[in-house]
Amino acid sequence: MKLTRHPAEGVLRRLIDEPAGVSDPDRDHIAACGRCQQMLAAVRDDAAAASALLSVPSTAEGQDDDVDAAWQRLRGSTAASVPAASAAADGARVVALDAHRVSDEHVSTARSTRRLTGRGAWRRPGVVALGVAVVVAGAGTAAASDWLRIFQVQQVAPISLSQADLAGLGQLPDPSAFGEAVATKPVEIREVSDAAAAAQATGLQVPRVAELPRGVTGQPTYQVGYAGQVSFTFSAAKAAASAEAAGGQLPPVPAGLDGSVVRLSAGPGVAAVWESSAGVPALIVGRAVAPTAESTGVPFTQVRDYLLSLPGIPADLASQLATFTGDGSTLPLPVPADQAATSTADVNGAPATVVRSNDGTMAGVVWVRNGVVTAVAGTPSTDELLDVARGLK
Amino acid sequence: MRRDLEAVFRRDYSLVAGVAARVLGSPTQADDVAQEVFLSFARSSPSAVPADQARGWLCVAATHTALNLLRSGRRRIAREDAAGTRDAALTGETAPDVADSVVVSEERARVRAALARLPRPQATALVLRHSGLSYAEVAAALHLSPTSVGTTVRRAESALREELTRP
Repeated sequence: MKLTRHPAEGVLRRLIDEPAGVSDPDRDHIAACGRCQQMLAAVRDDAAAASALLSVPSTAEGQDDDVDAAWQRLRGSTAASVPAASAAADGARVVALDAHRVSDEHVSTARSTRRLTGRGAWRRPGVVALGVAVVVAGAGTAAASDWLRIFQVQQVAPISLSQADLAGLGQLPDPSAFGEAVATKPVEIREVSDAAAAAQATGLQVPRVAELPRGVTGQPTYQVGYAGQVSFTFSAAKAAASAEAAGGQLPPVPAGLDGSVVRLSAGPGVAAVWESSAGVPALIVGRAVAPTAESTGVPFTQVRDYLLSLPGIPADLASQLATFTGDGSTLPLPVPADQAATSTADVNGAPATVVRSNDGTMAGVVWVRNGVVTAVAGTPSTDELLDVARGLK
Repeated sequence: MRRDLEAVFRRDYSLVAGVAARVLGSPTQADDVAQEVFLSFARSSPSAVPADQARGWLCVAATHTALNLLRSGRRRIAREDAAGTRDAALTGETAPDVADSVVVSEERARVRAALARLPRPQATALVLRHSGLSYAEVAAALHLSPTSVGTTVRRAESALREELTRP
């Protein structure tokens, strides 16, 4: 069958590198189509130019001796068991998996140690809402600088989500529909052998449980995550195109918002996990540097008002989020109203949020002190968890 | 410490250092980046980074780490060195071949600046592809379809041209 449509430029690009990866109909079309031939020539030119521009002046591709020397150096670093290499490339954190997990690290440490992968994490309504919430809950004033600190968590407070809210959130656009989210410092989560290793990896004081609740026994496993960062760049053009495609209209974009960047940072963090015999976590004690949000100087009120006016944010939720404007330090913790109840408590002088599932199977206590968020969660009762929280060393 | 560390290191070190050098435009700091990446790999668990995914993981990690290095401004030293050489060339204190090397080094700096401005997924796909990874390998490392790899690399090359031809 003869192909009448022109293959995409990505297909032309692959034809240059891997012709076998291009389908026969596409190849036949390109061979016979003057327009595609012209485009192919342009694509080839750009590919050749990029290849030349990215070439390495004197090869870094090591000889055997170089590899041996490099291996000895690595052995030295691993034996010393300190992040020595980071001195060589300080701040340039290595990456890895679960790029966007950072945006809800504080929630996942409280709930479980499950992972969210890639862009899928952003598509989860709760995470989207939380991302909006973290941004919206910022302060309106800060010192002028290249990066305007608009939010630093100092306490946690629940916001209640109804079934209607959740349904509405399901219709929220993916963030890529109105900008670009990039994990500028993606997070690596890994297991370490013990508390000392966790402390060394994160620089955090690893919480020690004074007395385990009844039914929780044995030694915990330790998970650590380095600091992560996600940058979101707002694009008015993308947002308008998405709104049009959905048959709606974008609210007028405030001046200066187009191209502005919001940077969400969180971590590092550590979680100690005690498994139950059923294989689910019986107790999790997590601690992380609390999330912060910064923007490239756009007045915070404009960001807040605009995000809350986006189609798909339930009015009920928007009105709750709109209240997070006063001190700029409160992290909204989304809680499904029909599945869990919340209350407040005191943990050694810090106000804490207590969440308990209505079926009584899980509960959690979350609080923030000095820019560090700590969570204790699991199957014990609320009182037992509060005892653990208050007894942490 | 992973048991497969040495085997993976000896197999992939040159590739990983090459990826970093491609991003940085010079092998000078590439070894440091490769060391950091392998150190991180050494501390990872095989369940987080399975051995058969190690090569892609290491290359992505090297790209991100090197890009972060570019963006963090730590290349300032290199730029200052280049400026110093250029000043010397302008004042006629040096031989003509030094002036040539200044032109080359300035172009290299422009390319790296352009690379750092690309959307991260585009920059990563571009570097991985030009480091010799196949479309299938790039796709697996970046969780893309092979078709999307072609599109992403093409966009990156086109954007790179636009960045560099901008007056």
